[in-house]
Amino acid sequence: MTRISVNLVPMLVVAVIALALYWPLMYLANIPAAQRALDTGAALPCKTAVECATQLRSPVLPSPEQLWRGFGNLMFPLYSPNAISINAAVTALETIVGLLLAAIVGFFFAIGIVASRAFERSLLPWIVASQTVPIIAIAPMLVVLLGQYGVQGWIPKAIIAAYIAFFPIAIGVAKGLRSPDPLSLDLMKTYNASHWQTYLKLRFPASVPYLFTAFKVAMAAALIGAIVAEISTISFHGIGKMLAENSRASDVVAMWVIMISSAVLGILLVALVNWVERLATPWRRAKPANKPVVGKPGMPQKRGVG
Amino acid sequence: MIKSQPTSPAFQKALLGWGMVVVGFAVLLWFIAGWWNQSEQATDAQKLLIGAGFLLTVLGTARVANLFVNTTHPVVGFTPAALTLLLVVVTAEALLRAYQVPPGLIPTPSRVVATLFEVRDVLLRDAFQTVVLQALVGYLIGSSLGVGVALLVSRFVFLERGLLPYATVFSSIPIVALAPVLVKMVGIDWQSKAVIVAITVFFPVVINTFRGLTEVSPLSLDLMRSYAAGELQQYRWLRLPNALPFVFNALKLGTTLAMIGAIVGEFFGANGQGLGFRIQIEAGRFGFDIVWSAIIVASVIGIAWYNLVAWLERRLTGWHVSYRE
Repeated sequence: MTRISVNLVPMLVVAVIALALYWPLMYLANIPAAQRALDTGAALPCKTAVECATQLRSPVLPSPEQLWRGFGNLMFPLYSPNAISINAAVTALETIVGLLLAAIVGFFFAIGIVASRAFERSLLPWIVASQTVPIIAIAPMLVVLLGQYGVQGWIPKAIIAAYIAFFPIAIGVAKGLRSPDPLSLDLMKTYNASHWQTYLKLRFPASVPYLFTAFKVAMAAALIGAIVAEISTISFHGIGKMLAENSRASDVVAMWVIMISSAVLGILLVALVNWVERLATPWRRAKPANKPVVGKPGMPQKRGVG
Repeated sequence: MIKSQPTSPAFQKALLGWGMVVVGFAVLLWFIAGWWNQSEQATDAQKLLIGAGFLLTVLGTARVANLFVNTTHPVVGFTPAALTLLLVVVTAEALLRAYQVPPGLIPTPSRVVATLFEVRDVLLRDAFQTVVLQALVGYLIGSSLGVGVALLVSRFVFLERGLLPYATVFSSIPIVALAPVLVKMVGIDWQSKAVIVAITVFFPVVINTFRGLTEVSPLSLDLMRSYAAGELQQYRWLRLPNALPFVFNALKLGTTLAMIGAIVGEFFGANGQGLGFRIQIEAGRFGFDIVWSAIIVASVIGIAWYNLVAWLERRLTGWHVSYRE
């Protein structure tokens, strides 16, 4: 809590500066476009380029009033199938289910990577490779294949979200499982700890901070996966479906509104991970701040030993 | 009688592993050769045979991989991975032929390779546009800006408090939602995709570099103070080396983000070239053999790029804990 209040003033200053710069930038970007539209004789309810800059149908940067009106159009009525709220809820569901799937798969891969060099040697190059495969190409095939077995609707999208999200989890957890320093590992050996005990008492606890960092990255990745899956397959709900529809219709203001809403959705989902992290690791909250920078003199660093 | 030297236990283990691999592959290839021109489904017994061959090769590969655990030579050490790939490809070919899956749904690997060879000129031109112009330019701009901003943010507390929360927030924004807007704004040429890639790569680099610059051991910081090290020296000898593993982590993730960003960006408008454009067009026409060819090209480049960064990381941060075993 103290951290937020410390950050509040600088954050507000930055926000005010950014907002103050938005108007001049918007005019700078839109006036040439407005002039071109006037020159070609487009039917606009305004006379000069400066006036038209805020009323273009496809502006380079939309004016705040346009955004506000666009937001109103897409938000209400609240339960219509074209409202942002319902579509965002569907996408959020797909993303969260995808993240949970990815966590299970990623965890097993991470243990495999750390426990067996043979496993790492034979599979890690292809795990990396699987991430460079553009999922949009696989999405339609996956949907058709799953459709043959009666799996339809939001589940294929969750699977595609999991496919893109498991990589950061696998890599992050593997890094965390390897993070205990050699001294602690040696200590476990002197205690004659078994392989499993080393994992349970040392490696798993050591990987928790890495796990949640990975979850935050993976949540953002899963959201991207879910949206791309919605764009590239036939879908009736979701942010991706709205994005594809409005991109085809060249509705620039709506695209901006959807972009901002999906940004808010991404922020909320990552905040959810943060909240779970605080619940799951109360001992980390007890630290003065999560910024271990300024060392006080005469305070030696403690080596955590299970 | 004295036993001959080569039949040591290690040699026997190696022989068993390789033997299982060879027999397994022989079974699978024998089926594929026999079923090359068939147009009906295989019998249940033959499907069972494929399963047995697959299982045998998996177990054999696991044994062989154990032999290569301590190999440091990069090409020889790649053998298990190559075997895994070969296994997946051969099994896929056998299964697709056994079940007679129509090529409009999933083309067989042999067909994909043939197509890849046919259309290589087009795909190479696509790859140049997507990788060199869009992904690489965007990646370099994004990561150098990211490191620069992280240096500033770590130096000035006001910026840290005012900007870093926004950077954290922005990195959770889905880039696909950004892509159509940016393509409309900048145009359909490669520059718009380079901007998308730069934005995608920028935020992870800022956050990771900042963490690396600030999560310094208090002991080392005290040591620098007792040496009366200046700010510049502190950065040169303590903070920057400490940040390198974090930076490389972000750079490695950035390679895949850059490829995805460039390819996804092309879905919302391209100038008639590019891997993403090709994939979208051909997927719409059910030309999945060309789609898979484009995927292979993208993957090969992505792997090469990732390994290049990983190689640089090993050269520059070989002293880090995660490499000491």
